[in-house]
Amino acid sequence: MDKIKIGIPRGLFYYYDGYFLKNFFEYLNFEVVVSPETNRIIIDEGMKYANDEMCLSLKVFLGHIAYLQDKCDYLLIMRIDNYGKYNQTCTNFLSLYDLVTNLFTIPTLDINIEYTNKENMYIGLKKICQKFNISNSKIKNAYDSALIKNKKHNKNLITINKNKLNKKGLKLLLVAHAYNINDEYIGKPIIKYLENNNINVIFSNNFETKEILNLSYKYCPNLYWYYNKENIGSIVKIEDKIDGIIFLSSFPCGPDSLVNELVIRKIRKPYINLVIDDLNSLTGIETRLESFIDILEQRV
Amino acid sequence: MNGYLGVDIGSISTKGVIIDENNKILVSEYIWTEGNPTEAVTKLIEILKSKLPNDLKIKGIGTTGSARKLIGLLLDANVVKNEITAHAIGTLSKYPNTKTILEIGGQDSKIILIEDGIIIDYAMNTLCAAGTGSFLSSQAKRLGIEVEDFGNYALKSKNPVKIAARCTVFAESDLVHKAQVGYLKEDIIAGLCRAVVLNYLNNVGKGKKIKGPIVFQGGVSKNKGVLKYFEETLNEKITVDKDSHLMGALGVAILSKNNKKDTIYNLNIKNIEFKTKGLECNGCANNCEILKIYKNKDLIDVWGSKCGKTFK
Repeated sequence: MDKIKIGIPRGLFYYYDGYFLKNFFEYLNFEVVVSPETNRIIIDEGMKYANDEMCLSLKVFLGHIAYLQDKCDYLLIMRIDNYGKYNQTCTNFLSLYDLVTNLFTIPTLDINIEYTNKENMYIGLKKICQKFNISNSKIKNAYDSALIKNKKHNKNLITINKNKLNKKGLKLLLVAHAYNINDEYIGKPIIKYLENNNINVIFSNNFETKEILNLSYKYCPNLYWYYNKENIGSIVKIEDKIDGIIFLSSFPCGPDSLVNELVIRKIRKPYINLVIDDLNSLTGIETRLESFIDILEQRV
Repeated sequence: MNGYLGVDIGSISTKGVIIDENNKILVSEYIWTEGNPTEAVTKLIEILKSKLPNDLKIKGIGTTGSARKLIGLLLDANVVKNEITAHAIGTLSKYPNTKTILEIGGQDSKIILIEDGIIIDYAMNTLCAAGTGSFLSSQAKRLGIEVEDFGNYALKSKNPVKIAARCTVFAESDLVHKAQVGYLKEDIIAGLCRAVVLNYLNNVGKGKKIKGPIVFQGGVSKNKGVLKYFEETLNEKITVDKDSHLMGALGVAILSKNNKKDTIYNLNIKNIEFKTKGLECNGCANNCEILKIYKNKDLIDVWGSKCGKTFK
């Protein structure tokens, strides 16, 4: 019998839980289809489905769904509401499931993350697996195995990130959501440009989550956006060891526009604030990055 | 005698200067870009050449402005630099004590803060061109006057009208409305100049400590109305150099002087056929916009490919 194909879109939650989910379902003998890195066609497809007020990252995400709709049996969607009372996500993550089921006809498998309602990853996965008559012990094994792999994977990323702090040359912290940093069209061109100019780019998303969540309270004691807390915590953690900060957000991200503004008033390092929309040309961004680097080099 | 050429190719105008070893401007020229940077530069170089002393050897070329990369290739420049650095260096060579540079160009506006001769901070408008030179010139056309006369009109006004400063689209509908209900042209123009200043200070200058001495430059600095409202709002005397529009070109000429190699440039570009050709590559799902650059029918560079594929 052919394996059942589960599609995971390479966008938004993929950059937090995608690696884990892929391993989990592969362990249980599903075939996991992850959409390719964002490309022009994916963005253009996403635009067709999107409302004009959605942020670029969500538009990209919808493009990935459109890509997957005829390439898998089920589409995996996470609906992330909160990781506790004061750890909420933005409305995009909240609306993903309803948005996708309304826009597309392909069957979905959903995981609801709502800690305040005792809904977590394990329970979500269990609900999915019960549809396929998978025994509890198998689920447990798959979960543990995927968790171990995931920990190793994350640890590796964290070490690489940390090691950059000991390298010679300019060190810049790129503060952005994981789904923007790692996107081929949003963050990657900027990272490539910086690295070609011999800059060590440290990523705000590759730190010990618990540690930086706690550190974030130094700059913002009463913030409740989980992903933004991560961003802020990374600044608090290494601000003394870096030469400058690049804030990157996708237009028109609500939480970022508020939180970045707030943090910019408190930091003591040079920074630039880049907002990416659907632009075909990188020239404007390059001008800003080049002059930012010039200034930092003059200061050193 | 040695000279160094700096070219600043903006969206609206193309500026060129040739300086000597002491950063003194020997010749300069200012022409409209008219959407064709290569043609504008060819024209610019011909004009500069006709003004040059015979014994001058060009030993360095620098380019800046939004077409810096393309023109850098055309002229075989030894320095290609962004506008912020170029402007700061140009201004500092004339006014070493400057603390703040206000700059409004064709589609960019920026603020540069300097301490002890080092740029410490800058801000640039976001990708929207609200309140820049291109906005002013399109409004001038709509009102039926030359953009060069804008300043004189504005100074005549005793009662500038209030115009929304936030966004060009709203500003334009305000302008149309004020004109239709019968406000004087000079009051509308003065209101427009003030809106440019307020828009600049609210967007680009937001949160920045603007300290004197202040230098105002870029094409819009030639507009006396805008200057007047800057001085009024900031309550500081602001310097506008007679060459304020040339600071970027001057800065990049200085950079090319500091970076010189033993090359002598002949500036014979009139007979070089320089062509660009755009195409969409359909090799993969990225559909990159490729720009091929030809010099005398030889392909010399290709831009825009994400994967590094070679083109013939």
